[in-house]
Amino acid sequence: MAAAALCWALRAARQVLPSPCPRQVRSYYVDWRMLRDVKRRKMAYEHADERLRINAIRKNSILPRELQEVADKEIAALPRDSCPVRIRNRCVLTSRPRGVKRRWRLSRIVFRHFADHAQMSGVQRAMW
Amino acid sequence: STSSVLSTDKDKSAASKDSTPEGASKRQEDGAETPKQQLLDIIGNMKVEVSYRKKLQQLKASESKKQALNKLEGLDSEGSVPQGTTEDTQRGKPLNPELVKAASAIASSLPRNKKQTESELLAQLRRHEETTDKQKKGGTINIRNVISEMTVKRQTPAQRSARISGRISLELDEDDRRIRPERSSAQSVDSRSLKVGKRLNIFTKASTEPEHALKTVSSPTIWDLEFAKEVAAVTAQPPRNGFEEMIQWTKEGILWEFPIDNEVGMEDDAEFHEHIFLEKHLEGFPKEGPIRHFMELVICGLSKNPYLSVKQKVEHIEWFQKYFEEKKELLQEI
Repeated sequence: MAAAALCWALRAARQVLPSPCPRQVRSYYVDWRMLRDVKRRKMAYEHADERLRINAIRKNSILPRELQEVADKEIAALPRDSCPVRIRNRCVLTSRPRGVKRRWRLSRIVFRHFADHAQMSGVQRAMW
Repeated sequence: STSSVLSTDKDKSAASKDSTPEGASKRQEDGAETPKQQLLDIIGNMKVEVSYRKKLQQLKASESKKQALNKLEGLDSEGSVPQGTTEDTQRGKPLNPELVKAASAIASSLPRNKKQTESELLAQLRRHEETTDKQKKGGTINIRNVISEMTVKRQTPAQRSARISGRISLELDEDDRRIRPERSSAQSVDSRSLKVGKRLNIFTKASTEPEHALKTVSSPTIWDLEFAKEVAAVTAQPPRNGFEEMIQWTKEGILWEFPIDNEVGMEDDAEFHEHIFLEKHLEGFPKEGPIRHFMELVICGLSKNPYLSVKQKVEHIEWFQKYFEEKKELLQEI
């Protein structure tokens, strides 16, 4: 646990730019699961329109049922990664799948770390 | 201050031809009176006349005298004597004797060359007379010529209704542009053509400068691009303060431009009716049946959608068209 924390702290530190002029482009994702998630997001974006239209035909009480069955088969034939349900909102910095706050896209541990170091704008320790 | 006093006196006065020249000449002979006094006397003797034309003339003359005075007071005496004398000989029309006397009085009152100033004033007066005559005859800009060519346009009620109906029509062609209001200007000129008739010379022809065609450089070579990149990289200094950092970010696109424009990147040139009235895209579909019903619902939904552009909506409908055409055989079986 401590080693993992140290690991991501180091990684976070590595992302700080050594020099301001040439901007460092991140070429590695945190882990393979994050990469697969990225791929799924891209595919879902590409097929989003088609899926919407085929679903509009399927979830319909006007069109004949045979047409809807054909549409069912079509949507099942699309690549599996193109459906948005497979996307998981992981932490952006640590790729943690659970405990991620949507507003900051950070896991709870990272969020707490940054908030305590006063690096989250407008975030304060609650006390009442 | 003397000039201002004189000008106020002149503005108040109005002259006539029937004043007493003898009385004025008598007064002029009085050596004891100053020229200024003489001038004032002359002006005081001038009668008030009813006709406005004379008054205009006199005002113009007085204005010219004022101008001449100012000019003379400001400038040094220039060699304009011969000019004045030639002009005197050329003009056949005699000036108002009162004005002449006034001019001579003014000239004598001024400290400069008296003869010169007198001749200059007379020349000014002559010029003004000329211009007023010209304007009376209408020589400079002939408005009559201009207006004679124009006629009052009368619209027939049929034409009027056609025009109104043309405005209301929303017919679009494939490019989503209006077909109807494409009338050329020549349509309105039925009985008269545009190029017939005398030139009116109201507008001066704008000199069309040859557009300076820049030397078109052939597409920059790779070496040029590399060189430019290198130069930019070398000269790019790190930002000295937060402002420069923000400028850099704005250039890169990380930071938005303030004041925030909500429509950045959104170039929807289509009017609202193109978003809402989408039935014209439904022409490829059968007129009755469940498909038509379905498509009408689709269109209803699209018309309420503010987030899509017109292109996207049209693509949406076309996708459905393609889809249903592919499934035509299946539909026939049903």
